[in-house]
Order: sequence, then structure tokens, then C-alpha cells
Amino acid sequence: MTTSDIALPKARAGLFAGHPMAAYVLTRVRQSVITLFLVSIVVFAGIRALPGDPALALAGEERSPAALAAIRAEYGLDDNIVIQYGRFIGHALTGDLGTSSRTGLPVSDAIGQALPVTLELAALSLLLAVVLGIGAGIVAAVRRGRPAEWIANGLALLGLSVPTFWLGMVLVLAFAIAVPVFAASGYVPFGTDPLDNLRRMVLPAIVLGSGLAAVVMRQTRAAMLDSLSADYVRTARAKGLTRREVIGGHALRNSLVTVVTVLGLQLGHLISGAVVTEQIFVLPGFGKLTIDAVFTRDYATLQGVVLCTSAAYILINLLVDVAYSVIDPRIRLGGAK
Amino acid sequence: MSRTLVPWRRYLLVRRTAVAVTAVALVLSTTAGCGSLQSSATEVGGERMTDDRPVRDGGTLTVALNADPDKLDPSLAQTLVGRTVFAGMCEKLYDVDGAGKVVPQLATALPKTSPDGRTVTFSVRKGLKFSDGTALDAAAVVTSLLRHRDLPGSARATELAPLKAAEATGAYTVKLTLKQAYVPLTAVLADRSGMVMSPAALKKYGKNFTNHPSCVGPFKFVERVGGDRIVLAKDPNYYDARDVHLDKVIYKPIPDGSVRLANLRSGDIQVGDQMAPVDVKSALTEPKLQLFNSPSLGYQGIGLNVGNVKGLGEKPGKLDTPLARDVRVREAFELSIDRDLINKVVFQGMYEPACGPVSPESAIAPGVAASACPKRDVAKAKRLLKAAGVKTPLKIELKTSTTPENSRLGQVVQAMAKEAGFAVSLRPTEYATMLEETDSGHYDAFTSGWSGRLDPDGNIASFLQTKGAMNAYGFSDDETDALIERGRTEADPAERAKIYGELTRRANDAHALVYLYRQKNYVVAGKDVAGIRVYGDGLVRVKDAGYTK
Repeated sequence: MTTSDIALPKARAGLFAGHPMAAYVLTRVRQSVITLFLVSIVVFAGIRALPGDPALALAGEERSPAALAAIRAEYGLDDNIVIQYGRFIGHALTGDLGTSSRTGLPVSDAIGQALPVTLELAALSLLLAVVLGIGAGIVAAVRRGRPAEWIANGLALLGLSVPTFWLGMVLVLAFAIAVPVFAASGYVPFGTDPLDNLRRMVLPAIVLGSGLAAVVMRQTRAAMLDSLSADYVRTARAKGLTRREVIGGHALRNSLVTVVTVLGLQLGHLISGAVVTEQIFVLPGFGKLTIDAVFTRDYATLQGVVLCTSAAYILINLLVDVAYSVIDPRIRLGGAK
Repeated sequence: MSRTLVPWRRYLLVRRTAVAVTAVALVLSTTAGCGSLQSSATEVGGERMTDDRPVRDGGTLTVALNADPDKLDPSLAQTLVGRTVFAGMCEKLYDVDGAGKVVPQLATALPKTSPDGRTVTFSVRKGLKFSDGTALDAAAVVTSLLRHRDLPGSARATELAPLKAAEATGAYTVKLTLKQAYVPLTAVLADRSGMVMSPAALKKYGKNFTNHPSCVGPFKFVERVGGDRIVLAKDPNYYDARDVHLDKVIYKPIPDGSVRLANLRSGDIQVGDQMAPVDVKSALTEPKLQLFNSPSLGYQGIGLNVGNVKGLGEKPGKLDTPLARDVRVREAFELSIDRDLINKVVFQGMYEPACGPVSPESAIAPGVAASACPKRDVAKAKRLLKAAGVKTPLKIELKTSTTPENSRLGQVVQAMAKEAGFAVSLRPTEYATMLEETDSGHYDAFTSGWSGRLDPDGNIASFLQTKGAMNAYGFSDDETDALIERGRTEADPAERAKIYGELTRRANDAHALVYLYRQKNYVVAGKDVAGIRVYGDGLVRVKDAGYTK
């Protein structure tokens, strides 16, 4: 995304006069609602385009035409797809995402239970990726051509190339079985027992965050190398600023725009990419919920999960756009003039 | 076939076998590594269904299941893992023991049947209470039975279809009137159809009973977090609560076998259900783990489309494919397969070859023993194909499920059948799509399996009867249909055994379903756990379980 894409609109007279930022956010929210509505149609139609009859999947050993008809009637599967969509969106607007055809549990409850798990996993992985990735990226750029850069590059390559499943199993064998510092599986809410929560979440966060840390490291390194050779850094050095001020206050800050863009894009991937990690560590998050729903053609759960994931993507993009203007004052001023 | 082979024919036979084994080895080495081939011999020992060491009171047992159970409503539930959870909280009128025999559970004795077989009476135990504190009586039994039969979408409707009426003839006595004699009823009442639900809970929650199940059982439902856990706690209302040792049982779905094993090793779970042979092999090397195993009542095989023209539920018709047209082609396909080799290379030699729908372990009508299964005969298979006049290689698409084991099974069958003149292409297909495509008749062959039922009728009728609810093969044979009906009405055990023997013979002669192997129920548990029971129905019973003293 370029800066021109996010140029702030001129503040309109009235409520947002003199508040271009608020007007910008409102515009983006409006766009997001329309996007979400279109996404809901695509999701609804796409799920129904999958091969496999949900009534058959539900019926199991009782697959007589009468039994199938009863199941279709109960879940409204025999209605016209437009009517089904109208019913879905009507209920969704009131917060009712339906009932899982497989387990009989309310979908909103299932999402309410799974969402905190995946969000915590994504947040911890992001934290790990930011701390390790940006740190290693700075070191690799500042120490270019030295062993520190080679080590950082090597670790990044490892993070990118090691398969998630393998890394997960190795970490479990090493740190949950051989040296039982962490738990092999399960989830305990942070509010219930913070220590036990971290004992169960550290390994999954490492597995999920390692790939992102490698990406962030490479992006940071490349952006920092650009910044360090730029005129304003030379000027800052000439002004007599300390090395820390030059790197932290000028080079890094300008490099962060690129890094934040990558993080924004990758955060969405963290949520959807948590599937494998959640399977390895038996975390009851979105990934597990999605997989189970796909294989059993649990339309209601699948619609709810995909819709929530889409909403998360849209929200993250919105936050990233807002973050640009906070990090880079030129963006904030650009559209307001 | 002549048993005596001249040297050059013996050489050819050995050479062919060597080629097949080599082909299988090559296939496996490219897909699953060489490990599986190196461990063909089983080291699990004989059957081990229980561990009766004394246990102490208290503690929580976490049982890992290989899938997330479906609805916790005995009328609607479909899955084997769901049955394991029910075993902890919903007792039945009858149960099965270690020998595979039906024994009373909530009922006081085995039912009494009238001479014409149409009236069945039994009594239920007095003083029983559901987990919600209400009393179990004959009226509650009648309510549950009629709900199992009549609830729209009930998964029990077919097996209870012969039930015409149910009435409470006393506070604790029940009379069932049947449309016709129905001998499998007792075995049916030893499964989910025999589970009695609290009428008060049914009235209060209706279809939402699934989220508030209340039965008579050693443990009662506490909570369910979808995809994560089902928690049961010791029920003080249970009639035998003094002999229940655990405070809680938690069931966790962990689909991946290696993850289940890693969690057993770390101690995060104490029992791993339905462990695959490759994981059992690893578990055997762990000093802190122990293995339970019991023979399965089910079977696994390959279903062939012999007449499914218009889809399941429609009358089978004539299908214009070589497999459907000529039984000799199907026989050739079966003869090209070596059941022992499949067991050795795909399942580490830890399952049993099978060639019939009924387990040889069945207490009611034992099926064909593994040793009596026909051997691979490529020469005969080729002769049959030639006699049938089909052009080889004959193309067949085999749909397999997406599990690693099923993929490997497909690859082995592909390699073996190739020698006889079949060009088998594999199409891994996930569960829901497979159901739709096979039920609608859009297939040549597919991997087909069944977890098994106590009464042989449960392993045969739905699959081989012309109107069978799961006859996706389009198989139709008047004599088979008649035998199935006779098997249901014949009360004499010896006569029933003969009927199911004849049914097995007819099924094998038709080659519509090529029975290949029978799984074993492998359950791995921590050494400090005792009292769990793993019988032939594949359920993990935890009523007597606990941690050793």
C-alpha cells in the first residue's frame, strides 16, 4: 500500500470539521461495513459451492430419504439459497450466528470461546516476531558483513524453512517431555491462571511466530539498510547525534512504515495460519473450529468463523492505516492540507 | 486350485510375490518412509481389556479421543467417540461384557420374549436416579424409547422401526410390542437405543437436551467447550457411586495420533483412545505407558459399485461397467489382493485380515476366521479377467479417505491389482464429499468400513439388503434379503449362526464388498491408571477407573 492510498480526506464541515483523522476513520469504517457485507455473500455462496451434502454428513448411518428430508427441513437446507442468506444475515445482525449442526452448540458461543485463544496466540506470536525480528533486523543492518549478520540471516532462513508441524513436535519432545518446562497441549485462560496459561502458550507462540519473526527480520534489515544510506541519516550524523539517536530516532522510525505494513498483512495470516499450530498443541481456537466445521459441512459454524476472520482482517487493515499516520507525520499532514 | 506346483510355476509364483512386495515397498518408501516396512511383526501380545489393580479415590482422568464427538443426545448421536463419552454418563438397559455377551445394566435381567416374538417385557432396577435428581422408572424408559424412534432426524429410527408400541405395565416393568419378531432388539438396547434420558430434562430442554444431557451414569455432564473438551464429574445420585473413584473425567478431541502420543508421554493426558498401529509401536517403548487392546466387531474393506445407478434409497439397476457387469471381474480384483501383506505393510501386522462382515469374535454368530480367508492368486485373477473378456489393464478409480493409513492402503492395493491387470487410480476424498459421491453412485470403488455392532444383523442388513440404509453398492439379491429377514426373526442361536454363515458366503460370492481387515481397539494409558475397560465395542469404560494406590 502506498501513502497516496491513505491520504486523509479533507475534513467536512460539521461534526468532523477540523478533525481530518476522525473523518478518515469514519470513511474507512463505512468502507469496511460494505466490504464485510460483500464478504458475507461470497462466504455464504462459497461454502454452499463445496462438494458434499451437509445432510448426508449429519445423517451418518441413518441415510434414508425421510431422514435426510427431516434434517434438511430442520436446518432450512431445503430453502432457496436467497432465503437462506436472508435468514442468516438477519440473525447475524442480531448477534445470532445460528447453531452448530454437528454439536448443537450456539455458534456465537463457540466463537466466543475460540476467539480469545486464537487472539492470544496471535498476539504472543506477534510480540515474539516484533521483538526478535526487529532486533535481529537492526543488528543485521548495523553489523552488515560481520558474523552477527550471518547469524541473523541464518536464523531467519531457518525460521522460514522449518515446517511448522516438525518444529512443534520437536519443541514438545524437548520442552514438554524431555525437560518438562512447558505443557504439551491444552489451554487455560489467562484470567484463571496466568502462569499456567503462559506455560501452555509459549511453545505454540514460538512455532507460529518463528516464521513471522524471520519475515520481519528480513524486512527490517532491508529497510534499515536503505535508511542508513539516506541523506537525512548522513545529516543527522553530521549534526553530531549519537549512534543510538541516529539508529533509533531516524533510521528505525522511517523503516517501521514498511515493517508495520508487513506486520499488518502477516497478522491476518497469523489468525488463519494458526490452524496447524492449534492442531499440534490442541488449542481450542479458530483453526480447530474451522477444520472441524469444514469436514462436517457445519455451515453455520463455518459461516460464523469465516465472517469473523474477515472482520478481523478488515479491522487489522484499518488499524494499520491509522498506524501509518501515527508513525510518519508526513502521511498525517499530507491529506489534511 | 492345485496345491502342488511344478518348480517353474513355483518360481513364477515366488517371483510374482517378490515383485509385488518390491512394488509395495517402493510405493511406501516414497510416501511414508521405510519405517513401516521394518516392523512387520506385532509385539503387543494378546488381548488385554482390563487392568484390575486397586485404585485410590479422587483425581481427574483426561481421555484423548480421535475426533470431536457430535451431539450428546442419544437419539441423535452418530459417532464412536460420542459413544465413549456416553459410556461415562449414560447407562443403557443392557450392556456388553468382556466376552461380547449382552448383560443387564439398567434392566434387572435379560428381556422375556413371547413365543411369537412380538411381545418383549423387561423390568428396570428400582431406586435409580438421573443426574438431575429425578427418578428413573418404566415411564421414563417408554419416553426415551419412543423419542429414539420418533424424533425427526433420529439416528435410532431404523433400528427401532420394528417397535410398534411401548408401555409401562407397572412402575418398573415395560412391555414392548413389535410389528414382527425382532431378535436383534436386545443388542440394539445395549447401544444408544437403550439409553434412558431424564424426562424432566427432555421436557425442560427439548432439542437442546444435547447441551444439558441427563441420564443415569457414574458421571454427570458438567460442560462442553466445542472442539476442546467435555467435562464430566462424579454423580452422587448414581446407584453405585461408592465404587466410582475418579472425581472428574475430561474428554479431549486430539485427531492427530502423534500428538495424542506426545501428550501421553508428557502426562497431559492419561488415556489415548483409538491409537493407530504406528503410534502403538512407539508407545510400547515407553516404560510409563501401558497398552489395552481388544478385537473389533467391525470391518474395513473396499466397496464396489455393482448397481447404484440412481443413488442410495433408489432401486438398484444395471450398471454398464466391467466391475458391475461381471462377477468374475470383481472376483479377479479380490484375488489380486493379499490381505496378510496389507496387514503387515500398512498396519504393522497389528490388525486382523478379514473376509466377512461378522467378526470371528462375535458371541452371537462367529464369522469367518482370518486363517480361512482366501489367499492371493494372481494367475486365477488373470484367467478370470480373460474369461470375462475385458480389455486389460482395466481402469478402476478407487476413492480413499484422506487419512495417511487409507492412502497407504490404496497404494498397496494399486500395486497388487496392477499385476492382475487392473489399472487402479487413487482419488483421496474427504469424508463429506465421499459420502455424497458414493451415495449418489458416482464411483467405481471406495474404501468402506464399519465400527461394528454386537448383533451380526447390525453388520449386514443396512449394507447388503436391497433397501439397506447404507447399501451404497447397489447390491440386490432376493435370497440375501430373505436371509436377513430370517436372521431377524429366528430365535434359535444355532440356527441364526447358520443363517449368518450363509449370508457371509453369499456376500463373498457377490464380491460387492471386498472385506480386507478388522481393526483392533488399541488404547494407550499411563501406567498409574487402572480400572479402565476396553471391550470389543471399542468404547473406553471409565466407571471403575482411577489412579493406582
